[in-house]
Amino acid sequence: MGNLIKSEFRKTLTTGLWWGLLIPTVLLSFVLALAFGAAGQSFLDFVSSDDLDELSELFGFDPGSWTLSAFALARAINVGTIFPMIFGGLAIAGEINRRTLTVTFLTAPNKVSALTAKMVVYVAWGAIYGLIIVAVSSLGVALTTDSAGLPDAGGWLGIAGTGLIASILVTMFGVGVGALLGSTVGTTLLLTLYMLLAENLLVLWLSTYMPYIGGFLPNGSASGLTGSIAASVFLENATGTVTSEMEYAVRVIAGAGTGALDWWASGLVFLGWTLLAFFGGWAVIQRKDIT
Amino acid sequence: MHDGSGRIVVQGLTKQFGPVTAVQNLSFTVEPGSVTGFLGPNGAGKTTTLRMLLGLVNPTSGTATINGRPFDKLGNPGRVVGAVLEAQGFHPKRTALNHLKVYAAAIGVPDQRAQEVLQLVGLYEAANRRAGGFSLGMKQRLALATALLGDPQVLVLDEPANGLDPEGIAWLRSFLQSFARAGRTVLISSHLLAEVEQTVDQVVIVSRGQTMYYGPLETLRRSQQSRVLVQPSDPATLVRALNEAGVHQVEQLPDGRLAVAGMDAKQVADVALKASVSVYGIQEEQVDLERLFFQLTSGQYTGAPSPYGNTGYQGGPPTGGYQGPPSGPMPQQYQQQPPQGYPQQGYQQPGYQQQPPQQQQQYPPQGYQQPGQGGFGGNA
Repeated sequence: MGNLIKSEFRKTLTTGLWWGLLIPTVLLSFVLALAFGAAGQSFLDFVSSDDLDELSELFGFDPGSWTLSAFALARAINVGTIFPMIFGGLAIAGEINRRTLTVTFLTAPNKVSALTAKMVVYVAWGAIYGLIIVAVSSLGVALTTDSAGLPDAGGWLGIAGTGLIASILVTMFGVGVGALLGSTVGTTLLLTLYMLLAENLLVLWLSTYMPYIGGFLPNGSASGLTGSIAASVFLENATGTVTSEMEYAVRVIAGAGTGALDWWASGLVFLGWTLLAFFGGWAVIQRKDIT
Repeated sequence: MHDGSGRIVVQGLTKQFGPVTAVQNLSFTVEPGSVTGFLGPNGAGKTTTLRMLLGLVNPTSGTATINGRPFDKLGNPGRVVGAVLEAQGFHPKRTALNHLKVYAAAIGVPDQRAQEVLQLVGLYEAANRRAGGFSLGMKQRLALATALLGDPQVLVLDEPANGLDPEGIAWLRSFLQSFARAGRTVLISSHLLAEVEQTVDQVVIVSRGQTMYYGPLETLRRSQQSRVLVQPSDPATLVRALNEAGVHQVEQLPDGRLAVAGMDAKQVADVALKASVSVYGIQEEQVDLERLFFQLTSGQYTGAPSPYGNTGYQGGPPTGGYQGPPSGPMPQQYQQQPPQGYPQQGYQQPGYQQQPPQQQQQYPPQGYQQPGQGGFGGNA
């Protein structure tokens, strides 16, 4: 198995895809973190201005205690993970497309071990992407937010840790979808359009009948991992009155899904989707005639 | 894990792609120490058979083993069998050397081996060039280099001469022969007998997914049969007369002559005389190996299995395939017959409709009128 893992690592390192996708990952996460961080800070500056301060106190709000930066961080991480997902999506779809799967299977003891080695390698890549995404997102938020508005170490670790888990899981999710579809273009389009657009529209459409559906769909549950922690960080720090309506609104803003599940529940739901895609793709490849 | 014999055994192998039977009950054995040619027209099921042997295509029924084990039970297959397959891909952005290093790692051989095999196939100069810029011939060499990485005991090559220049083909020929002389096994497929004739010792000839001949090439060569080319005034009458005389192997040539097997020129002339048919020209002709190959691989021309029965058929299923009308859709081989020599329209011409029914059965017309949507097992 060690040999096959080494082989799969070489496969990813001997072409330019890993850094080709890493560039937009870093740029997008960093720019979004800067933008979200700056937006949160200017909102805090605005509500903390003298005139509004009295009004806020009247309503029992204390904007000075709002860690909006937690949301900025969670959002920037979420959007950044789209790239490791595509990277995973091209793992098997690319081999089918380029017909290199033939040699991969000819040099592996069996299909199961070849696919297992691939899985191990893409878990590692998901983690590498995740670490980088968390790092640049944190940097972007830290650059634009006053130190008072940043989450404490525990809060940051929570968001960073769930961000890492999310990155690994979406990469595996991508690997599975890529194996299921077997097409590089189809996989990339489906993953991007669904995660960025289609599911949001679907949730919007269904929100009247099934307000909690969002937290149980792939994108909602993946976002819920970091979003949920961000919401908790915010709610723990916010002093003054926090109504249940406000808490709900916070979770929606955080992208914890309209289901507003806890982070571990979101994680489990997305793990379910990942396993479904992964073993679905696995079964397809196992039965597929490689011609 | 395996018996180390280097023997390939295919038993009752069948593969169906939906309604199309690409390979039907195929059986043969490939012994070590020899180069075995796996011959048949395009669409005969060669590629599918090789891919089943290599565990890439799941057989509908039957087994294929190397060293007594199916491919996925070989342990580290790269050390046992190397394969050059058609439609085998390379990442266009990966260099030749990196490509080999990827699979050297998978097989567990040192990286240095990648350089060795590059040198062996004459690609050393191109080691750091990307495979996407390679010519077909260079890709074939790189595929061969990949197959040789694990220093395997068995080599399986699917149409390896495609894209190679004459020099490359000559090199491959001597390479495979020396590989086999070292006691190893080579199975090489081709749709052209001439291409491998000088390389192979044994042949497995398949057509329409079935074994047509299986044995030493020498035996096949010895079974060469002469035939008589005759230009009669009335071909229909002569065919009937020949049939009555017990000769059923009659073919119509494009130039209007008949090719008669199983009789010498004198006998044919006698039959013609008896049937009051004028003979404008007559000549005896030696049948060459290529023609035998055609006869074996194009079902319609070998009405009776007898001529080669006493020499060749060691393992092939002699029934069904080339006697009765073919069942099921026909693969594409009928559209791709070489044009010279054996015109398939021969027995569909009106003049031969009065043939005895038994003759009709041997030359089933409906088979060739529906070429079907074949294409499986070919060069996809």
